[in-house]
Amino acid sequence: MDKKVTLKLDHVSKSFAKVESDEVTHALDDVSVTMESGEFISLVGPSGCGKSTILRLVAGLITPTLGAVTVDGKEVDGPSPDRGVVFQKPTLFPWLTVEKNIGFSLEMQGKLKGNEDKVQRMIDVIGLQKFKDDYPGQLSGGMAQRVALVRTLINEPEILLLDEPLGALDAFTRMRMQDEILSIWREKKQLALMVTHDVDEAIYMGTRVLVMDANPGRIVADIKIDEPFPRDRSSDEFIKYRVDILNRLHFGGKHH
Amino acid sequence: MPENKSMTETAEKKQLDKLTRQQLRDLEAKQMTPLQKAMELVILVLPWACFGVALLEYLLIPNNSRNRNPWNYVYVLCFAIFVYNCYGIFAGIKRHKGEKKYYEKLRHSAPLISALFLFFALYDYLTLKTGILTQPFVPCMNFIINAFLLDYKMLIDCTLNTLKLLFLGYTIGVSLGLVTGITCGYSKRVRYWINPIIKFLGPIPTSTWIPVIMVIATSLFGGAVFIIALGSWFAVTVASMNGIANVDKDYLEAARTLGASNRQLVFRVAIPHAMPSILTGCTQAMSSSCVSLMIAEMLGVKSGLGWYMTWQTGWASYDKMFAALFVICFIFTVVTKTIERIKRYLLRWQNGVEK
Repeated sequence: MDKKVTLKLDHVSKSFAKVESDEVTHALDDVSVTMESGEFISLVGPSGCGKSTILRLVAGLITPTLGAVTVDGKEVDGPSPDRGVVFQKPTLFPWLTVEKNIGFSLEMQGKLKGNEDKVQRMIDVIGLQKFKDDYPGQLSGGMAQRVALVRTLINEPEILLLDEPLGALDAFTRMRMQDEILSIWREKKQLALMVTHDVDEAIYMGTRVLVMDANPGRIVADIKIDEPFPRDRSSDEFIKYRVDILNRLHFGGKHH
Repeated sequence: MPENKSMTETAEKKQLDKLTRQQLRDLEAKQMTPLQKAMELVILVLPWACFGVALLEYLLIPNNSRNRNPWNYVYVLCFAIFVYNCYGIFAGIKRHKGEKKYYEKLRHSAPLISALFLFFALYDYLTLKTGILTQPFVPCMNFIINAFLLDYKMLIDCTLNTLKLLFLGYTIGVSLGLVTGITCGYSKRVRYWINPIIKFLGPIPTSTWIPVIMVIATSLFGGAVFIIALGSWFAVTVASMNGIANVDKDYLEAARTLGASNRQLVFRVAIPHAMPSILTGCTQAMSSSCVSLMIAEMLGVKSGLGWYMTWQTGWASYDKMFAALFVICFIFTVVTKTIERIKRYLLRWQNGVEK
């Protein structure tokens, strides 16, 4: 990555109004954290802890109730292709072919002309040359999520936001795609921010794991994972990290 | 030898790679028993047998009432079986060359064609031969054909007028409906103003307007266009409004993170996503247009097939009335089928892989 960026959440709180009642829920309570290019940050925690809320704030899909989200000192206002998001559902546009889906973002920005080779390169990256004229309805879950990934990556975003992107995949596809995402990230060294339910996935992929808890949503631990890639899921260090994180989430069993 | 075996296996694999859909179906199909094969042949010649029944029924049984130009009906029957034969030969040649599509179509429609010939025979028996269905109120097929041949110039003229009215009203209604529907679906402010109009005028059947139009409108043609347009406007507006309002939020969010502007969100995401609903609205608009069209022509407009039917009924020319009825059936079938085709083409992304 040629350009280094710093992403900062500065005393961010976010509350949502409940539907059909006057109460509000506090999804995030006074969260402050700083992240930089080259980091792969895993957000892990139980549902309702506000991890997806952080991601959506950074994406610019929602605005903070209090505090500010800034990229290099500039406040985030609205979504931008510089902060690419991969959602849990592939959300490929079913009326566009695989090729058109991948080129969608460039086309929206009026940059498709002259960049057709970029689209082809992305299709090659995920090895779906044979399927480029197919519609998303004909793809398997793993293929669709790969297309969604490169559809975002084609913009070469400085911040890559991954909202449980592998959550809906089977265990084997999931492990294969963890490695694929890692190799893409290690090549470009963007700032990657991934939400996950899976503690193993968080440790396997992250350079830093932010452990979160609910009621109110907050970060309870910021753990640096000091292990070289590729990581061994059964190594002693790996297991130590896992026990540590599970303890902090109160799932530690007898270690607690 | 094991080596040899693996070589043939890879050869088979290679063949599988290049498999077409037809070959795949042939490969997986069960072998037909001789009995099934014989049945297949019987079904294919069945239309001929039924044609024979219809022909003999007409020629051999004495008439109950007078018949004019008796050979026209025979010509039509012969023409029908001639067309069937031509298609059969064409399908046979194609099948010989390995393309089974046409043959399967033929096999599919053969029983229906047979039934049609039998229906002709039965109808002729009930009308011309026995008079169980009283002549001339329910004219026999030969009379209807005669009427058609006698008055075809007028019928063509009326058909063109009907189509003109239909398409003018439909196009105006659908285009306006798309505009209001899409803006209402997207903009809450526009919906605030348009919704009461839809709620108020929507439930009224369009034919209710005919007396009003006959009083107000300067030309009945313009009035009829208005009524047809109103019906289709309503159908398309409601359908596209609902379609746009129900667009999956996930798609809009994804598009926003990919850099789509508000305008692009409407035209590149919301409208394509609402397309199935919009097209359903267009189909409904067509059927409502056909209803309003016929009512308008029968009550006021002085041209078109609906007018022709009422006019001929007034002169007790029931044969001509039936001839016009057949033309109307034919036109509406073609129009509906065309819309269905367009719909299938636009929504081709909805088709998954064949299971």
